[in-house]
Amino acid sequence: MAEVKMALDGANKDLSASYMMWYRFSRNPAAVIGTLIVLSAVIFAILAPYITPKPEDVGAVVNFRARHLPPDATHWFGTDKVGRDIFSRAVFGLRISLLLVIGVLGISVPIGTVLGLAAGYFGGWTERIITGLTNVMLAMPPLVMALAVSNLLEPTLMNAMIAITLLWWTWHARLIYAVSKSVASEDFIEAARIAGAGPMHILFREILPNCVSVISVKTTLDAAFVILFGATLSFLGFGVKPPTPDLGSMVADGRQFMPDFWWEVLCPGAVILYVTLGFNLLGDGLRDMFDMEG
Amino acid sequence: MQQNPFLAILTRLGTFVLVMVVLSIMIFVLARVVPGDPARMALGPTATPEQVSALRTEMGLDDSLPVQYVSYMGRALQGDLGMSLLSQRPVTADLGQTVPATVELVLVAVIIMFAVAIPLGVMTAHFRDRWVDHVGRLFSLVGVTIPSFLFAISLQLLAARYFGDWPIIGRMDHGLGFAGGPTGLMLVDSLLAGRIDVFVSALQHLALPAVALSMAGIGQITRITRSAMLENRRKDHVLTLQSFGVPERVIIFRYLLKLSSIAPLTIMGLEFASLIGNAFVIEMVFSWGGFASYGLNAILQKDLNAVTAVVLVSGLFFIVANLIVDVLIAIIDPRMRRKEAR
Repeated sequence: MAEVKMALDGANKDLSASYMMWYRFSRNPAAVIGTLIVLSAVIFAILAPYITPKPEDVGAVVNFRARHLPPDATHWFGTDKVGRDIFSRAVFGLRISLLLVIGVLGISVPIGTVLGLAAGYFGGWTERIITGLTNVMLAMPPLVMALAVSNLLEPTLMNAMIAITLLWWTWHARLIYAVSKSVASEDFIEAARIAGAGPMHILFREILPNCVSVISVKTTLDAAFVILFGATLSFLGFGVKPPTPDLGSMVADGRQFMPDFWWEVLCPGAVILYVTLGFNLLGDGLRDMFDMEG
Repeated sequence: MQQNPFLAILTRLGTFVLVMVVLSIMIFVLARVVPGDPARMALGPTATPEQVSALRTEMGLDDSLPVQYVSYMGRALQGDLGMSLLSQRPVTADLGQTVPATVELVLVAVIIMFAVAIPLGVMTAHFRDRWVDHVGRLFSLVGVTIPSFLFAISLQLLAARYFGDWPIIGRMDHGLGFAGGPTGLMLVDSLLAGRIDVFVSALQHLALPAVALSMAGIGQITRITRSAMLENRRKDHVLTLQSFGVPERVIIFRYLLKLSSIAPLTIMGLEFASLIGNAFVIEMVFSWGGFASYGLNAILQKDLNAVTAVVLVSGLFFIVANLIVDVLIAIIDPRMRRKEAR
């Protein structure tokens, strides 16, 4: 880190800001590892039917002769209680996790961003109502609410996703609100207003670009949390219906056979850890790249 | 912005009341719009339509939602949260039995959290970019990223493999014949009764779930303490202390630590909601039999009165935790005593 900064301070002063950011990012081992992990997870998830050794094991296949096999060359993660290949199922489970991330963040990030921008810029009652609402929502225990919502409706992945989304936007609204409020008092906003810019222009063209770094870091770190959250829900039995593989429910299934067939718990668990670690490293890397504190 | 501290506390309490009201409306509406008739579920499939409609009238299910809500809250404030379908007892009685177990677990977890995370945060900040820092940061990264159920199960696995007779489920050894005491907290009750053997057993049972529950918080708090220490280290008054030759040890422990414990405390308050959520998982893995296990069961069985109560109590936990955090910060930070804004 230190030598990177020195190199940048010396010869490369005239390089563009974006190149410097890229330079800082690419010289940060944690960030590069995080990127590689996330990319590999995405590629595995997309190509799951073509690269897994036994894609048919995703369904309700039963092969009792191969049950509870320890990890070896053919079954990298061993097999489960009905003889299905855990590696193949885990890769397909990754798909569900990433779909959950896209679904939840795809809805809650834009909502949180717009509300945060509006609260910070307009002030007054808009600010009071939106911050009040976020404060109330933050007091809801997320897991408890998600469990209650998804089960009272019906315990499906879709309902779990709705439940998570309902709670998730608040964190983004809160964060963007803080940035938006401080940016709103800057001179260039005043200048834009005097030049006749409307509120839409100011919100999305003047303030939003200043929030891009915050949003991207937060969203990346959130991806890890959504995966953890979804895995926890399905571990507790509120996820996709069997036999569809899901990392959380695979761990729950394996728990019945615990001390003896440890791979049935630890291997799907390790996949969860792998992805969440990747998103966290990537998020930290982005934070360093944007040179943010904290 | 000078403000009357008394007024500030009132505003804060007002927010908390508002939180509880909104939370209760949300869960109440949710519990009433679910498919399925609570009266039918209470009576079972063999009941006649007449019996069901009689019970509906008795339970007040034929009134409009606002009327139902007001009468529910009126009774709730008097300590009547309705009957549980599952246990066929008043929900408050169930809560009275299960909440202490969770309180004990969460309290010990929070103590472990701060006892590990604050020193770790201080050390990683002090030895920035040296190996202590790297190891500490890796540790806190894993703490943040590992699913708590996976960590809990791994602890059980390790205990089963290397400490054969270490207890991995339940709250204490039933062979000891201890019926519990007035507080419901095993550690306190056993000491009150003078039963050291029970105390040791309770402590053994508590160790793994408490560590598992504290792991996520340790990761968070270590990171925040570290960055707060680093940020405050650059402040003018700290640099002044250094330039006067005040030893580093004194700077860290007398000046920096106090200043840097505000951020982790605030975060702790905010994160308390997810700590309660994690307790659901930990209690399930360790068969803890506390409030969270009760809540999970209630949710699974659609025991509506119990679900409503569980959500309300979770909200109450959050609020109490944040009040405590507010008081602690006011003690630490004299600025807050004079102008509590926000």
